Amino acid sequence: MGPITSIAGFPAWLDLVIALLIGIGFGFALEQAGFSSSRKLAGMFYGYDTTVIKVFFTAAIVALVGSQFMSYFGLLNMNKVFVNEYYVGAAVIGGVIMGAGFIMGGYCPGTGLSALAIGKIDALFFFFGGLAGAFLFAETYPMIQNLANGNFKGPVKINEVFGLSPGLFIFLLIAAAACMFWVAELAEKKFARPDISSEL
Amino acid sequence: MNPYLAGTLLGLVLLMAMYLSGRGLGASGGLKYCVVSIVGALDRPHADRSVYYSKYFENGQKPLKNWLPIEVMGILAGGFISGAVSGRLKFKIEKSPSISKTRRLVFAFLGGIFFVYGAQLARGCTSGAALSGMAVLSLAGFVTMVAIFGSAYVFAWFFRKNWI
Amino acid sequence: MTARQIITSILLIFGGIMLFIPLSGKYSLREKPGQVLTTVLDESNSLNADQVARFLVTEDSTLLLIDLRTPEEFRECNIPGSVNVPYAEFLKQDPGLYLDDEGMRHVFYSNGDLKSGYAQTLAVGLGYKNCFVMKGGLNAWYVTIMNSEFAGNKISARENALFATRLRARTLFNEVNSLPSSLKLAYIASKRFDPKKLDGGCE
Repeated sequence: MGPITSIAGFPAWLDLVIALLIGIGFGFALEQAGFSSSRKLAGMFYGYDTTVIKVFFTAAIVALVGSQFMSYFGLLNMNKVFVNEYYVGAAVIGGVIMGAGFIMGGYCPGTGLSALAIGKIDALFFFFGGLAGAFLFAETYPMIQNLANGNFKGPVKINEVFGLSPGLFIFLLIAAAACMFWVAELAEKKFARPDISSEL
Repeated sequence: MNPYLAGTLLGLVLLMAMYLSGRGLGASGGLKYCVVSIVGALDRPHADRSVYYSKYFENGQKPLKNWLPIEVMGILAGGFISGAVSGRLKFKIEKSPSISKTRRLVFAFLGGIFFVYGAQLARGCTSGAALSGMAVLSLAGFVTMVAIFGSAYVFAWFFRKNWI
Repeated sequence: MTARQIITSILLIFGGIMLFIPLSGKYSLREKPGQVLTTVLDESNSLNADQVARFLVTEDSTLLLIDLRTPEEFRECNIPGSVNVPYAEFLKQDPGLYLDDEGMRHVFYSNGDLKSGYAQTLAVGLGYKNCFVMKGGLNAWYVTIMNSEFAGNKISARENALFATRLRARTLFNEVNSLPSSLKLAYIASKRFDPKKLDGGCE
């Protein structure tokens, strides 16, 4: 019963090998989706390329549905899978700062790394900026500690907040995603910029 | 590759991560571990004194010997393989024709600073918090995702010269 | 049909299936009824107050005492080191949060025998290992540990050890339960069960 690494006696070094393999798959999938191009990523916010939302929601829903089915059939113990913990202020403010960084740099760390792997110089600068950002956070940590650790609510689940069962929430999410995909296709036609899209 | 197919592939990779290691994906955390090990190598006493760095050196552990940094190395390898297979390997600075190369590089650097700083605060980036959070129905992931995309749409107007 | 339509149709079909299957199906009893009863009725799965007292006094950290009473009763007095999971919560929550640890022994107790017995039966039925009860509950604890007197002139070494354990458990019990409310609340809060920290996230 998964997660496999939580079985007693599982060697720690093998967990790291798994990490490497998962990373390779992750980088491969990102690059295949075309996310190693900052103009493609930024296109999401100007309407001419909505690949981001299609890939993002498809991936989230496939993993969600897959894990729930595996849990139902006893193959995966969802209690042992990490659930992100909710720190109210930190999540919102960090998200806003990230949004600014996204539109400025045109990358997020995962896509930036896969872009770096295929030779994009701007991704290299994004990477260096990233290191600087992490360093900045580490050095200013005492000042920002209260915000970062404040308002801790624990690993809250979305469906509990809305009082829905997991199955109902997943169905609504899939329905919402289907609408978003449809709107995205319309937006691509309306905000099309053939001069950019032909280069991507 | 068709975006929906790529999304399915990505979803399966995430599912494998959950099944094998009991956790989601991540990227910005790997950058953090890089910085920590560099600081540890250059100025160890400072690291030991600081509240933030010291927890990564407890019991003599090496910060790079963790799930995230190794996964990040895998991302680099996987991106390279995919680029090689699809013939996309090329050194270039990707930018809109209407701005200069320097401007693009400056903004890329600034973007990196902001993004990873915010990612450290929110304990995750788009892959670690938003994507993996959605896959486990975590409210934090959902809120972070809405904040990232919402604020990016707002800021998009201000930076439109850079892209279109 | 375009890729979008194919994929969204597949996902919608799965979503429809998810609507109807009970995803909390993990709460159905897994063990065979006969097996459950055998385990629960097995004497070695029920500890008496002296055994619990000995674990307490030797600070055995492989024992997890689970108090099934209400929070008010728990605040009044409880066996030091125990965790409060009110019976109503036990029925609602996922017991896997604190019972999933195979290295620990989980001992349920309540005031008497009823609730602890139900909880143990349900836990064993759901498939959790190492579930015990403290026979007689807190009432038995009071009778044997708190109020027992040493009577008689000659006692054997074993009886001596027994009474020494009882006395130490009694002292510990009184010490913790007579703390001023603020300290007591702080102590109880520190003992509140925190699900084991999982490794993960992009931090």
